[in-house]
Amino acid sequence: MAEPQVDVKWSMVVDIDKCTGCQACVVACQSENNVPISTQELYDQRRQMTWIRVERYWEGDFPDVKARYIPIMCQHCDTAPCEPVCPVFATYHNNEGLNVQVYNRCVGTRYCANNCPYQVRFFNFWEPVWPDSLKNQLNPDVTVRSRGIMEKCSFCVQRLRRSERDAAQNGDDRPADDAFDPSHGAFAPACVRACPTDALVFGDANNPNSRVASLAHSDRRYHLLEHLGTEPNVIYLKKIDPEAGDGNHE
Amino acid sequence: MRPDRKLLLLSLPVVLIGGLVATIIGGFVIWRVAAHYFYPLELIAKAAPTQPIRFTHVTHAGQLGIDCTFCHRTVTEERTAGIPAVQQCMFCHAVIKGVEEDKASEIAKLQEYAANDEPIDWIRVHRLPDHVQFTHEVHIRRLPEVLGLGEDFQIQAVCSTCHGKIWEMEEVRQVRALKMGDCVDCHRANNAPTDCVICHY
Ligand code: HEC
Ligand code: HEC
Ligand code: HEC
Ligand code: HEC
Ligand code: HEC
Repeated sequence: MAEPQVDVKWSMVVDIDKCTGCQACVVACQSENNVPISTQELYDQRRQMTWIRVERYWEGDFPDVKARYIPIMCQHCDTAPCEPVCPVFATYHNNEGLNVQVYNRCVGTRYCANNCPYQVRFFNFWEPVWPDSLKNQLNPDVTVRSRGIMEKCSFCVQRLRRSERDAAQNGDDRPADDAFDPSHGAFAPACVRACPTDALVFGDANNPNSRVASLAHSDRRYHLLEHLGTEPNVIYLKKIDPEAGDGNHE
Repeated sequence: MRPDRKLLLLSLPVVLIGGLVATIIGGFVIWRVAAHYFYPLELIAKAAPTQPIRFTHVTHAGQLGIDCTFCHRTVTEERTAGIPAVQQCMFCHAVIKGVEEDKASEIAKLQEYAANDEPIDWIRVHRLPDHVQFTHEVHIRRLPEVLGLGEDFQIQAVCSTCHGKIWEMEEVRQVRALKMGDCVDCHRANNAPTDCVICHY
C-alpha cells in the first residue's frame, strides 16, 4: 500500500541578528536528546558531541571588537550529501523533509559524517557514560545510542510526534509552527523552546500561515555553504548591522 | 568388475557422516523457515515469569469485570499503559481479605506491601528493545475503527489484538510476536505509516 501522503516540510529559521550566543539551546538539546557529556579531552580529540553548537567569531581588534555568533545544527538538506553514501540506508530523507538517522540500522561506517560539509554528525567512539546522578534524567522518548553509532540533530522528532499525537487526540490539525499553544504542548524542538531571544523559529514551510514560511522570504535569508547546492531546510537570516560586512561568510 | 572392498569400507564412514551432517543442516533450515512463518510458536515456549504476588487477571478483569483502564490508567492517553500503584489495589483490598486460603495468603502479601509503603516489583512481560518507540494511545484510539468494533465495544477487545485474552490468563504471558514484521504487516494492511521515524528515534 502506498505511503500515506504527508504534506509538511519541517524547517527552521535562525536569525543571526537575534542570537546572543547564550548557549541555552546547546544545554536544552543536550538534556532533551540524551547527548553524552563532552569533556575537554574529547574536544581535544575532536570527538565531542554537540548536536547544536554556537560558533563564535571575533571581528575587529581591541577595543573595537565584536563577537558574532552562529548556531549550527543538522541542516536537514533536501539533497543531503550524507544520504547517498550510507551503504545500509540508515540515513534517508523522509516525506516530512527530515533527514533521518535510524540508529539501529546504522553499522558505523562513518561515511556520512565524512561527507557532511557542516560537521554536524557525531560518532560514538565509545559507549557513552553519564555520572550516576544524571542517569535518571535521561529522556525515555529518545533512544540512548550505543558505541559504534552515528547520531545527529533530529529536529527533536520525538517532540514532533508527541505534539502530533496530542493534536490528533484533541481532534486538532497538526500544528503549523512553534507559536505556543497549550493543546500542542511540547511542539517545536528543545532548542527553539529554550531560546530566550526568539532567534530560532520552527515550523512547517509548506503552510503559508506559519512563521517560518513568511520569514523564509526575508531578503536577509541565506543558507550555509549555499554554493554546494545542498538545499538545507535550515534558513539563516543575516545580521542587520552596517558594520557586519557583506554577509558572505562562507 | 567387482567393487573394491577396501574402497567400499572407506566410503562407509564418509556416507554416514555426510548423511548426519545433511540431516542436521536440513533440520536446521526447516526449523528456521518454520520459525519464520510461525514465529509466535517461539513464544509458546516463553514461560510467564513468576510474579512477586500471584495476582490474576482471571479474577479481576474476568470474573469481576474491572475495566482494563481502571488499572492501566494511562493507556488511552500516553505511550505506556502503566501498572497500578499499590494504593489503587487497596481501594478494594483494605476490606477484601479473601475467603479461600491460597487467595488470602496472597492478599496478605499485598497488604504487607501497603503497610510498609513499598511498591511491588512486578516482573515485566512485554518489552520492546530500547530503540523502538511504541505508543499505546494511537492504537487504542484508532484500532476500534480499524478492527470494525462498532460504537459500543469493550476496551479489552482492543487490547486482545496484541495481548491475547488476558482475562483468561492465570499468569500474564506474551502471545504475539510483536517483532518489527508483525507491527509493519498490520500498519501496511491499514494504511498506517511505515516510515522508520515513526517507530525508531
Ligand atoms: C485490578 C487491576 C487490573 C486490571 C483490571 C487489569 N490489569 Fe493488567 N495488570 C495489572 C497488574 C498489577 C499487572 C502486573 C502484574 C502481572 O504482570 O501480572 C498487570 C499486567 C498486565 C499486562 C502485562 C504487562 C507487562 O508486564 O508486560 C498486560 C498486557 C495487561 N495487564 C493487560 C490488561 C488488560 C488487557 C486488561 C483488561 C482486560 C487488564 N490488564 C486489566 C492490573 C490490572
Ligand atoms: C474492584 C476491587 C478490586 C481491586 C481494585 C483489586 N482487587 Fe484484588 N481481588 C478483588 C476480589 C473481589 C478478589 C477475590 C477475593 C476472593 O475470591 O476471595 C481479589 C483477589 C485478589 C488476589 C487473590 C488471587 C486472585 O487473583 O484471585 C490477589 C493477589 C489480588 N486480588 C491482588 C490485587 C492487586 C495486586 C490489586 C492492584 C493491582 C488488586 N488486587 C486490585 C477485588 C479487587
Ligand atoms: C498494537 C498492539 C497493542 C495493543 C492494541 C495494546 N498493547 Fe499493551 N503493549 C504492546 C507492546 C508492544 C508493549 C511493550 C511496550 C514496550 O516495551 O515499550 C505493551 C505493553 C503493555 C503493558 C506493560 C508496559 C506498559 O506500557 O506499561 C501493559 C500494562 C499493557 N501493554 C496494557 C495494555 C492494555 C490495557 C491495552 C488495551 C487498552 C493494550 N495494552 C493494548 C502492544 C499493544
Ligand atoms: C493490529 C494492527 C497494528 C499492530 C499490530 C501495530 N500497529 Fe501501530 N498502528 C496501527 C494503526 C491503525 C495506527 C494508526 C495510524 C494512524 O495514525 O492513522 C498505528 C499507529 C502507530 C504509531 C503512531 C503513528 C503516528 O501517526 O504517530 C506508532 C509509533 C506505532 N503504530 C507503532 C507500532 C509498533 C512499534 C508496533 C509493534 C509492536 C505496532 N505499532 C503494531 C495498527 C497497528
Ligand atoms: C511500526 C513500527 C516500525 C517501523 C515503521 C519500523 N520498525 Fe524497525 N523495528 C520495530 C520493532 C518493534 C523492532 C524490534 C523487534 C525485536 O523485538 O527484535 C524493530 C527492529 C529493527 C531493527 C533490528 C534491530 C536489532 O537489533 O535487531 C532494525 C535494523 C530496524 N528495525 C530498522 C528499521 C528501518 C530501517 C525501518 C524503516 C524502513 C524500520 N525499522 C521501521 C518496529 C518498526
